[in-house]
Amino acid sequence: MNIEFFLDGKAVTAEPGQTIMDVAKANGITIPGLCGEKRISKTTSCFVCVVRDKKTGKFLPSCSARPTPGQDIEVTHPEVLEMRRTALNLLLSEHNGDCEAPCTIACPAHAAVEEYVRAAANGDFTEALRIIKERIPMPMTIGRVCPRFCEKQCRRNIGGEPVAINEFKRLAADKCFDTFMEELPALSGKQVAVIGGGPAGLAAAYYLRRLGIAATVFEMMPKAGGMTRYGIPEYRLPKTILDREISHFSKMGIQFEFGKKLGDDLQLSDLQKKFDAVITAVGCWQASGMRCEGEELAVSGIDFLREVIENDCVAANPGKVLVVGGGNTAMDCLRTSVRLGSPEVICIYRRSEAEMPAEKIEIHEAKEEGVKFQFLTAPVKLEKRNGKLVLTCQKMVLGEPDASGRRKPVPEAGSDFEIEADTVIAAIGQKTAAPAGLPVDRYGCLDTQDDHVTVGEKLYAAGDCVSGAATVVEAVASGRRAALAAARDLLGAPMPKEETIFVSRGNWQDLTRDELVVLRDDLSEAPREKLNYIPLAERKTSFKEVCATMTPEQIAAEGKRCIECSCSDKHDCKLRKFAEEAGCSTDAYAGVRQPAVYDVRHPEIIQDRGKCIKCGVCVKICKEVVNKSLLSLQKRGFKSCVSTAFGAALPDSCRECGECINACPTGALDWRKKR
Amino acid sequence: MSKIVSFKIGLASCGIAAGGEAVLAELKKATTLPIVEVGCIGHCYAEPLIEACLDDGSSVMYGNVQPTAKAIENILSLGETGRFAVPAARKSKELVKVLALAGRISPVDFDDYTANGGYEGLKKALTMKPEEVIEEVKISGLRGRGGGGFPTGMKWGFLAAKPGFDKTVICNADEGDPGAFMDRSLMESVPHQVLEGMLIAAYATGASRLIIYCRAEYPMAIKHLKIAIEQIYAHKINVFSDREIEIFIKEGAGAFVCGEETALIASLEGQRGMPRFRPPFPTDSGYQGKPTMINNVETFGNIPLILRESGSEFAKIGSEGGRGTKLFALAGDLQYPGLVEVPMGTTLREIVFEIGGADPEHVKAVQTGGPSGGCIPVEMFDTPVDYDSLRSLGAIMGSGGLIVIGKDRCMVETARYFLDFTHRESCGKCTFCRVGTTRMFEILERIVAGKGTEADLDTLEDLGKKIKAGSLCGLGQTAPNPVLATLRYYRHEYLEHVNENKCRAMQCNALVDVQLDKSKCVKCKICIKTCPVAAISDDFVIDPAACTRCNSCLDSCPKKAIHRVAKGETL
Amino acid sequence: MKKEHDFLKTIAPEPGNLIKGLQLLQATEGYISDDGIRDAAEYFGRPVADVEGVVSFYAQFKRVKPGKYQIAVCDGTACHLKGAPLVHEWLYQDLKLKPGETSADGMFSLETVACLGCCSLAPVMSVNGRVHAKLERKSMMKILKEYAEK
Repeated sequence: MNIEFFLDGKAVTAEPGQTIMDVAKANGITIPGLCGEKRISKTTSCFVCVVRDKKTGKFLPSCSARPTPGQDIEVTHPEVLEMRRTALNLLLSEHNGDCEAPCTIACPAHAAVEEYVRAAANGDFTEALRIIKERIPMPMTIGRVCPRFCEKQCRRNIGGEPVAINEFKRLAADKCFDTFMEELPALSGKQVAVIGGGPAGLAAAYYLRRLGIAATVFEMMPKAGGMTRYGIPEYRLPKTILDREISHFSKMGIQFEFGKKLGDDLQLSDLQKKFDAVITAVGCWQASGMRCEGEELAVSGIDFLREVIENDCVAANPGKVLVVGGGNTAMDCLRTSVRLGSPEVICIYRRSEAEMPAEKIEIHEAKEEGVKFQFLTAPVKLEKRNGKLVLTCQKMVLGEPDASGRRKPVPEAGSDFEIEADTVIAAIGQKTAAPAGLPVDRYGCLDTQDDHVTVGEKLYAAGDCVSGAATVVEAVASGRRAALAAARDLLGAPMPKEETIFVSRGNWQDLTRDELVVLRDDLSEAPREKLNYIPLAERKTSFKEVCATMTPEQIAAEGKRCIECSCSDKHDCKLRKFAEEAGCSTDAYAGVRQPAVYDVRHPEIIQDRGKCIKCGVCVKICKEVVNKSLLSLQKRGFKSCVSTAFGAALPDSCRECGECINACPTGALDWRKKR
Repeated sequence: MSKIVSFKIGLASCGIAAGGEAVLAELKKATTLPIVEVGCIGHCYAEPLIEACLDDGSSVMYGNVQPTAKAIENILSLGETGRFAVPAARKSKELVKVLALAGRISPVDFDDYTANGGYEGLKKALTMKPEEVIEEVKISGLRGRGGGGFPTGMKWGFLAAKPGFDKTVICNADEGDPGAFMDRSLMESVPHQVLEGMLIAAYATGASRLIIYCRAEYPMAIKHLKIAIEQIYAHKINVFSDREIEIFIKEGAGAFVCGEETALIASLEGQRGMPRFRPPFPTDSGYQGKPTMINNVETFGNIPLILRESGSEFAKIGSEGGRGTKLFALAGDLQYPGLVEVPMGTTLREIVFEIGGADPEHVKAVQTGGPSGGCIPVEMFDTPVDYDSLRSLGAIMGSGGLIVIGKDRCMVETARYFLDFTHRESCGKCTFCRVGTTRMFEILERIVAGKGTEADLDTLEDLGKKIKAGSLCGLGQTAPNPVLATLRYYRHEYLEHVNENKCRAMQCNALVDVQLDKSKCVKCKICIKTCPVAAISDDFVIDPAACTRCNSCLDSCPKKAIHRVAKGETL
Repeated sequence: MKKEHDFLKTIAPEPGNLIKGLQLLQATEGYISDDGIRDAAEYFGRPVADVEGVVSFYAQFKRVKPGKYQIAVCDGTACHLKGAPLVHEWLYQDLKLKPGETSADGMFSLETVACLGCCSLAPVMSVNGRVHAKLERKSMMKILKEYAEK
């Protein structure tokens, strides 16, 4: 007999035997549930599928509860959703896995590192490049200059060196960039103006085009590339490489107009009339001074670098050079000075080497090239005496940590001393020169909404002008977000799904090797492949690229060092899917997680207890459908787990039917081979 | 002068634990008079107990009997020392009905039971129609004594409505609440009374199978029940005109969750004791898929009385919130721990202070219903003890454990203790119970360690409510109660822990130091010798880093010069 | 089925009698061995994994050989309030045993139990089922010494 009842106030009919979840589904309401499986007896374990009986106020698992006549069931009441969210939050709080590999989480652009590393290691460079370009449209550049956020989080850092992730990008791009062309959708007719042809603007234009929107890039300089062209020296990023990379954007149909500076040659209001939307990506081109007497006598780091680059690396010997600052721009100035023939190049930095913001490899290479470092030293006064520059400095000592967590340098009284030089370069930092009429925040950067890209009605910003001087990879990530926001507003297209749930086993600093799940049999214990440098003498006298791209053989070997940390089930995991839909958080509840116990004794199947939600669906499938009973629930409470008899490997009687794997809502049971 | 004709000695678990067997051996050496080993009369604090029965029908009782020839000699001569009398206050408040025979007859003597009205109830039931028996139970107003308080007559009616005789009646004797021992005492002392109730149930509901699911930790109860069942078979009491009733015992294997009907049935079927979603209810599909009904020990213990004296007579005792008497296991900080029987509706004040002899100045609260219940502050002791009144206070009747909590006990630690128990006893099926109770326990561990925050209290409350709403069975639905109740009445103690790192009861070790009061110290060095970790120096300074706060020195100090003080404070 | 487990045949070989069989196994051998699980599975017609699941669910079943003297400390509410944590502390001081462990010489093993039902005599512990009540540090040390010398 059919049963009449109500779902969120709407009259519905249940056929005999139907659960509330069944009826909801038939009426177009999907109730999430992790442990419902039609072919087995009810598990009623996860409680993610709860609904509420309005009259009694009782929560019911809709996968098991059958409606009673006249019952008023609440499915989408906020308190019902809150119960579901809590159930999922509790499951996340005990979940011990890696929704994503730590390298991908660390990458500002969220590039699918594990996947492109695997593709490149297998020799499929086109596929590797395709994966990379989903998030990084300038892999030739980034493959050379990236500070490698990914490698800093690589779990191979445990007792060793990280996988040389960036080299995979560089090789794949070098090999296939010229021949690779994305499949582009037809143009929608919408047009967007992008102000600034640096990495953020290029990335914005690139992803707009990939979403079917025509983009025109307005660039104040004669060529595109922004700081990648005018700020990064030739020996790190040869201009021939950059030109190759940028030519691709034109090939995609992106329009460029050079020599157009916002405020001078262009007006925002005109662009807003002519185009459907505007994205500003004007960068950070205003150098900060040394903030000491006579600072005007110093040349700014970015101006110094730009002039050398604009003159094709031909410039007068700067004589003895002092570079004030400890960032990557300072390193670029120091090493450029060496190459211009300077007899003595000294870096003046007010903290110690440990606090230096420049990349360690840059510092190392600069030292190799003969640069001297004067740490704990700050400029006090710059003056011109007898045709020479004299920089008065004082010694510093490190005091209490400041807001950035670094120890604050404090002047040492009476420690003043003088250094003579021919050239003093101030590489202290850069600021945004905000175009008139745009809102700025207290740092002088463009002010945006919480999404970090929206400035106003169909007006967006991206890159350094929003974040302050940052890295190329951060700029392209920002440009992509701006493009997505514009596409959403212009086309009404939903933003592509961005994962929000990242359960992590932890940072490598907090882990031991034993706690890592290793699915692959062929994990290499070899040391990291070495970079192939050109001879030091050549480095010091020419602007040739300092090291070569790794060979395919090196990359294949390096690929075997990748632990492949991410969850094998990351694209199918129901827990993650529902948790994202419910707006869950991985840190709602602190507490012990499940032990990182996993079993790869079976050649095909992994059992990963850290990810088990104890629903027992696999146990029942094996018992009731496959008729084998190879698995059972063991122990009880928080310690309960699924195991084979005596914790042995899955026996031969397992015919690898995959039923348990398909039924497992998470990656607790999965095929070992990653797809 | 009267002469002793026989002795009764209390040899239930409590009597044995107190040393009753040694006393019995001593008594046997000294006399040839008959000695009856009886169960428990409820005055556990006075065990070992010997009752000297006199030829005039009266008797003299001796409590705390030592296993010495001298003590026995005193009893044989009916000496004045060591005589035991029920405290007057208790006598006036107690109404002994269910326990009337406990400790008065031999538990394993069939004739002793029948001579004292045993099996009269069954005999009477067999003269009635089954539906009349059920009606009588309904009239009595008896509600399940296992905790839920569901009307027993109604439950019987559900099972009786199922056709045929292939039905099972189960006695839940898996008394799992730590701190409760009513059922143990009943089964040990008057097993026949429980079995009589079950046989009446079998007759009334049309069941042919009786199963007692008893904790394995109760070996004496099991032994006595087994003997009683043999006697029932021997006397063919289990044979009705139309069918023979099968009775057997299954021993539980240590899982609190098996107090839950569907989990208990799974356990009886040899499975993991995990509850399942209802419906189907056991009355539709229970043990081996057949209609099944479950009552607890004390509920069955009441049935013979109802039949003997009629339902309406039974209903005269008690209050609106519950009919008849209720057994309580009194324990904790009071003078007379033991088993008491009082009419439903007796106030906590009467039970705790008058019967239990607790010091009103010293009592902080009472915990009812064990780990599923809540605490009731001393200010509310005028509450009558019945199902509905207790529920309105955030506590539950539970099976009848009453733990008196003194002022020197920390309520946060008490809540932590209960959650420690429940989170380990969770079967692990439902997310809310399995993970939620663990998270609550972890938060409580943080708080007692002085590492909690005020936000933790909100999390406890929020999570507690959700666990109650999102769990399949009674374990999860009640597990947060001790925390929610203590948060309700003793939030200030929680706040002191999280905001001031203070435990007013000086119980939480992480917030306490042990200090020696030099003005009282006589330098006897007993503490130095006693300390298991050598934390006390030769000049009587206690090293707080080495000290494990085990209290050995406090207990050993003859001058009581060593104290627990708030961490960092000095005497 | 191993011959030494023939005693299981005193129980009807129905799947529902598994727990009874396991209890008999433990009563006979002191614990449940892997072989015990295999034989119980075979005799009662249950999958081995299933039987292990049942064994590990219930607190009663021990999977390691217990000591000659099995100490069970009651941590029921009354005992807890009256000092069960201290009893554990003392046992740790004296025997260096934590719950679930057996001493190196195989003499003592220690476990915590929910309630021995002797709440009025708290704190209590049992040694091989024999209950010792109203424990204090001194009395407890005396009891342990007696067992150790037996």
